[in-house]
Amino acid sequence: MKIGIEAHIQLSTLSKIFCSCPTSGSENPNTLTCPTCLGLPGSKPVLNKEALHQAIKVALALNCSMPTETFFSRKNYFFPDLPKSYQISQYEIPIGINGKLENIRMRRIHLEEDPGALIHKGNTTLIDYNRSGIPLIEIVTEPDFKSPNEVRLFLRKLITILEYLSIYTRKSEATMKADANISTTGEKVEIKNITGLKEIERALEYEAARQKKEPAEQQETRGWNSEKGITFLQRTKEEESDYGYIFDSDLPKIEISKSLQEEIKKQIPELFLEKVSRFKTQYKLQAEDAETLAAEKELAELFEQVATNIDPLLAAKWLRRDLMKVLHYNKKELKEIKIDAMHIIELLTLVKERKINDATAKELLIKLIEKPFSPREQVKKHSLEMLSSETEIEDMCKEVIKNNKSVVEDYKKGKQEALHYLIGQVMRLSKGKADPKETEKILKRLLQKTVVS
Amino acid sequence: MKINEYLEKVKSKEISVVKTVEKILQEAKNSPNHFTAISRSYALEQAEKIEKNPEGRLAGLPISVKDGVCVKNIESSAGSEILKNYRPPFSATVINKLEKEGAIIIGKTSQDEFGFGGFSVNTKKIPKNPHDLARSCGGSSGGAAGFTSFATQPHIALGESTGGSIANPASFCGVAGLTPTYGLVSRYGLIDYANSLDKIGTIAKTVSDAFLGLYHIAGYDEKDSTSLPQKMLQEKKVKKIAVIKESLNVDKEIKDIILSKLKNYDTISLPSIKKYSLPAYYLIALSEASTNLAKYCGLRYGQTLPLQGGYNEFFTEVRSKYFSKEAKRRIILGTFARMSGFRDAYYLKALKARTLIIKEYKKAFKKYDILVSPTMPVTAPKFSEIEKLSPLENYMMDILTVGPNLAGLPHLSLNAGFKNKLPVGIMLTANHLEEEKLRALGEEVEND
Ligand SMILES: [Zn+2]
Repeated sequence: MKIGIEAHIQLSTLSKIFCSCPTSGSENPNTLTCPTCLGLPGSKPVLNKEALHQAIKVALALNCSMPTETFFSRKNYFFPDLPKSYQISQYEIPIGINGKLENIRMRRIHLEEDPGALIHKGNTTLIDYNRSGIPLIEIVTEPDFKSPNEVRLFLRKLITILEYLSIYTRKSEATMKADANISTTGEKVEIKNITGLKEIERALEYEAARQKKEPAEQQETRGWNSEKGITFLQRTKEEESDYGYIFDSDLPKIEISKSLQEEIKKQIPELFLEKVSRFKTQYKLQAEDAETLAAEKELAELFEQVATNIDPLLAAKWLRRDLMKVLHYNKKELKEIKIDAMHIIELLTLVKERKINDATAKELLIKLIEKPFSPREQVKKHSLEMLSSETEIEDMCKEVIKNNKSVVEDYKKGKQEALHYLIGQVMRLSKGKADPKETEKILKRLLQKTVVS
Repeated sequence: MKINEYLEKVKSKEISVVKTVEKILQEAKNSPNHFTAISRSYALEQAEKIEKNPEGRLAGLPISVKDGVCVKNIESSAGSEILKNYRPPFSATVINKLEKEGAIIIGKTSQDEFGFGGFSVNTKKIPKNPHDLARSCGGSSGGAAGFTSFATQPHIALGESTGGSIANPASFCGVAGLTPTYGLVSRYGLIDYANSLDKIGTIAKTVSDAFLGLYHIAGYDEKDSTSLPQKMLQEKKVKKIAVIKESLNVDKEIKDIILSKLKNYDTISLPSIKKYSLPAYYLIALSEASTNLAKYCGLRYGQTLPLQGGYNEFFTEVRSKYFSKEAKRRIILGTFARMSGFRDAYYLKALKARTLIIKEYKKAFKKYDILVSPTMPVTAPKFSEIEKLSPLENYMMDILTVGPNLAGLPHLSLNAGFKNKLPVGIMLTANHLEEEKLRALGEEVEND
C-alpha cells in the first residue's frame, strides 16, 4: 500500500495574504472583506510579507531546499466560493521542495489563498467570503506512507512542529484539510477534501478496504462522506480539470535571499524530535515521558523550568500524568491557564520532602489551574501538612477499627478490599492529612492484635 | 484656451468653473457617443465647491475617464454589457490623485469592451470620429480621444493602453496620446485586460497638456504591487533618433508625412520586433484576459439571470448572454493558449519572445534616444470598411503599437499632419522612465 497526502494548513497571520483584512475577529458572514478579497473589478493583490516569512519558516523546518526566486500563479477554475474564478497559488517554483520529516519525503510546499466557504441551509446555499484570502500552505508528500495510521502519526508530528513555529494552534486541528492519494493493488485513487486527522485516517482505511474488494482499474478522484463513512466517485482521469496556470503578473517576483533565509532560520526554535532526544539524555527521561512532554510547546517549557529546580523524574511524572489529567478533566489547555512554574516547584518540593501526601498535592494542583497561589503558604494557612506522628495516626486507626467491626471481620477472613476501606476511613478522619503508607503499616499491626469478639 | 492659462484664471477667479463645467457637460452630451456615463450632478457639485475655494494644482480642470477606470459610485463597465450598471464602491488611485488636486470628473468615455479592439466598435455605444462621423475614433480608448478632439473647453482625458489603445485613437483623432512606462502610474482601480501590459495614460489636445495630466497621476502606490518606486528621469536632451525601418512599410503618403517631421535621423532595423511582437502580444494579452474575465459570472456583481440549475450551467448562461462575440473569441483563444499540452508552445513561448523583444529595444536605446514610426498603418477607417475586416486583419492594425506596449516602454503619439483631411499620427518611443525625452521631441514636432 502506498499513500501520499496534500495537507492544507492555515498560517497564523493577523491579516489576509493579499489584502489588509483581519483573519479573525468576526463571526458575521462577509464582514471581514474588502474589494481585493471579494475580487471586485479593479482591485489588486499585495503580498503580506508575514505570510511569506511563515511559509519560508515551515519549509526550512521541514528541511526543504529553497529557490532564490519564486512567484505566484493563477490556478483557474469556476466555483461559487472563488471570487476571482482563479486562486492565487504557486505552480512551477514553490517556496520549498524536497523536504523530509523522519522517513517521509516532502515533494513541495507552496503558498496560496483560501477561497470562501459555502454554507448550505436547506435548499439554499449561501457564500461567506470571510475566509477568502486567508493564507494557506499546501504540503505535498511523496507516497511514502504504508498505512492510514502512519499518516495520522505523521500529521500529528507535523502539527507539533507547526505549533513550535507558532503557526498552528491545537484548536484549529479539526480544520486541517487534506487530499490523500492511495494505491493498493490497482491504480492510484485520490480522495479530495477530508477535514480533520481522524477523518483522514478513517477515509483511508475505508478506501484501503474498498480497494481490496474492488481494485481501481483507472485513476480516479473520490469524495469522502463523513456521515456515511464512505468514499464516492467524483471523476475519472479523463475528466481531470485543467487549471490553465499562468503567472499572476499583478504580483512581482519574490526574491528569497540567503540572508532572509538565515534570518528566518534563527527564529526556528528547537523542534520536537531534537527536544525528545535532549530530554532523554539531559534529564534521563523514559522515551514515552519525553515524547509526551515535548509534544506540547508550553508543557515542554514548563517542564524545563521545573526540572532545573527539582528531580526531573518527579517533575516529569507530575506534569505529564497529574497536571495533564487535571487539565483534561477540566477541559482546559495549558496555554489558556496562568500557572507559575515557581508554584509547581514549591508543590513538588513539599511532596519530595514528604510534607504533604499525594492526595493533598493533587487537591492543590486542581486549585492551581484555577488561579495562582503559593502552595507552601496555603499548606501552612490551612494546616494541610501530612500527619506523620505515629501516635496521632494510631489513635485514629484505633477509632476506625472500633467503629467498623464488620469490616474488620471481613479483613480477618482475608478480604484485602477491607483494608483499603479502613485506610480510607482513617484518611477521612484526618481530613486527608495522614500519610497513607504510615497508616497502612499501623493498621496492619493493630489488626493483627485485634481479636474479633 | 490653454489648460495652464485656464488654471491660472480659476485661481484668480477670473473664470467661472461652474460655467466651464456646464459647457463641457453639454459638449459631452452632444458628442457623438463619446460617453457611456456623464456624472452631471457630481461634476457640478464639485465645480461649485472649487469655484468658491480653488485649491489644488488642477483646481477646476474637467477630466473624462475611460470607462474601465473605476470611479466610486459612477457606472464603470469597461464598455461591457456584463458590467452594465456596475457602480464600484471605490475609486482608482489615479482618480483620487486627480480629485485631490481639484480636478473634476465629468464622466466615463466609451471604449471597446474590456479594451478588446482597435476601433471601439466592440461595444454598445460606438464613438464616432469628429473628423468624419462615418469613421472610427480608433480604440480601445475611442471615446477618450474622440472627445479630446471634439471638446472646446479645457479638458484632459484618462485613457488606458494594453497593446496601443491610447496611441491608436490619438492618431485617428489627431490628438496627443501619452502611454507611460509600465508601472509608472498605479493600476489600482483599473478593470484588468492584461495585467502585465495595462497602463493608464493621458490624452490631450497638446503634448504639454498630456504631460500635465501624467505628472499628477504618476507615482508609487502601495496598493499596486507592480507600481514602480522610481520616478521619471528628468533627462530631456534628445541627441539621436532613429526611424524603425520595418514600420515604413505603410501607405506612401503616411510615410512621407512622418519623415517630413524629422530633421536628422538614422534608420534602424528591429527584425525580432516585427516578427514576434504581434503573436507574442496576443498570446500573452489573451491568456491573461481569459483569466481576468472569469470573475464575471453573474454571481457577485454586474448582470445576472435567475439562479437555476447547477452553478456551471448558471455561469455559462450569464457569460453566453452578456459577453460579446469578440470577448468570447478572446476568452477562447486565451484559454487555449494556456491549456496543458499547448501552454509550452504558446503561452510560455510568447513570454520568451517578449524577453527577446525587450532585449532588442534595450540594444537600440543604447544608441538612440527615441525610436520613431507611424502610429497606425492607415488613417481612421469607415465603419463600413471595419465590418469587412477579418479578426486577423483587425489584429494586424496593432502591428506598430504592440512593440512598445509589450516592452512596457513609454510612447507618445501626436498629430503629424493630414491625409485626405484625416489625421496621421507619429509615434515616438523612449526607454523606460525617459518620458521627458518624448516631451522634448514631441513639442518640437508639434511646433514645427
Ligand atoms: Zn480583504
